[in-house]
Amino acid sequence: MAPDELLARLSSTLRHDIGPAVVEPFPKTQAFMASVVLEKLAAQIRLAPAHAEAEAADLAALAADLPGLLGSGPLPPAVAAAADRLAAGEGAPALSALVGALWAEREALGPDRFAAVLGRARTTMRARIDRQMEYAA
Amino acid sequence: MTGGTDGEGGGAAAMEERIAAYLRDQLDASDLTLSGVERIAVGWSHETWLFDATFTRDGAVHTEGYCLRRDPGNALLREMSDLGTQFRVLQCLEPTDVPAPRGYFYESDPAILDAPFLVMEKVPGVCPSPWGRDGRRFYEEAAARGELPRSFTDALVTLHTLDWEGAGLGFLGVPEPGTGFALGEVAKWKRLIEATGVEPDPILVDLIGWLEANAPSTDRRALVHGAYRTGNFLCHEDRVSALLDWETEVIGDPMYDVAYVLSDLNREGTELLSNLVERDEFISRYEAGTGIEIDIDACNYYQVLYGMRSAAFWMSASGLYADGRNTDLRLARTAWSIPVVLDRAARDLGY
Repeated sequence: MAPDELLARLSSTLRHDIGPAVVEPFPKTQAFMASVVLEKLAAQIRLAPAHAEAEAADLAALAADLPGLLGSGPLPPAVAAAADRLAAGEGAPALSALVGALWAEREALGPDRFAAVLGRARTTMRARIDRQMEYAA
Repeated sequence: MTGGTDGEGGGAAAMEERIAAYLRDQLDASDLTLSGVERIAVGWSHETWLFDATFTRDGAVHTEGYCLRRDPGNALLREMSDLGTQFRVLQCLEPTDVPAPRGYFYESDPAILDAPFLVMEKVPGVCPSPWGRDGRRFYEEAAARGELPRSFTDALVTLHTLDWEGAGLGFLGVPEPGTGFALGEVAKWKRLIEATGVEPDPILVDLIGWLEANAPSTDRRALVHGAYRTGNFLCHEDRVSALLDWETEVIGDPMYDVAYVLSDLNREGTELLSNLVERDEFISRYEAGTGIEIDIDACNYYQVLYGMRSAAFWMSASGLYADGRNTDLRLARTAWSIPVVLDRAARDLGY
């Protein structure tokens, strides 16, 4: 049995067999919560390979788009460093660094450049949260 | 309720005796006995015990109800919530019209009950959770009768028209005029996020950036509860008998509370605000009672801020479980609440 299937089965056992047999309210709640946690974990594990692949592709596409959006003029060092981290494949932490740098340096970037780059990053972030919602919601 | 702490199973009887011994000393009542001792499963930040104490004084037998809250040191909002501050707030509120339990004793010395605790009045009333079927039915029926929705609004009016300086609540800290309150709240929840040691999600970084760049400027000041909704007050005979959960109170913009009331986060399966009150009725009664015109733009901002606060709560809560500091599985489950609030935050920001 695959790990995600095992976790889903454990979740079902807790929800349908163990939880209802528990009388005390607090342990009963705990049994139900354990079931919920295992159910979500099962879905997260099942989706992880596809999500990792999609995330890598999205971040690579964002990194490829950034030079055009940022232009050839001087860049605030924090923004340039974050863009470099994205290009180096550092993943979500690099995306966080980029977004933080954009807000911190929005005056220096100017409104058009700030809006263009943040808007592009938000497209990536929307796709990312949509994937997470497949198992979290 | 928290896991891994004293007072569960066989520990409950020992705790009961220790509480009784403490009260015998405090009340100078050597014959004091406890009855109806109950550790209730509400709240995520402190243990809560309810009981009645019976003792003789001046030749007469008295029975008084008490509520004891103990800080287990490993629960939600540990970094933000302090029982000593809560006790002081309750003392300040006692002579006012704000419905709140009277605070009797506060002990910071862990030698007494292994952790700091406060003892306050057990106020008559019930506090159904609005998230369960029974609670939703309770508030639906109360809404139909009409009295509780008015009392809910009136209690907020009382809170927001309180002379908080006169009541001695300035010790909570008074924000700078302008954007001081909003930026102070953002900074507070940022500290909680940083305390988790977890790399913030890119959407959370975006959210914080937006909040810092768009903080509303206001000089409105009031005592703000910080979590004003059903489930955080006691109802007795269709009235709000006591506001509870004084853990996020702050001196600041009253729109912070109004935004929480208006938020659809605090209702389920109903258009009634907080599962209880019609929007138009709330707005007109609140504005008439306070003389404050509701600032919808500020409310919209604070609703986005609540998204950040929720993310901070859930990061802290799930971290407590992940670190092994707390064994309550409700905290573990909140790891999957983080994407849910961030999804909503992204929509609030337009994507």
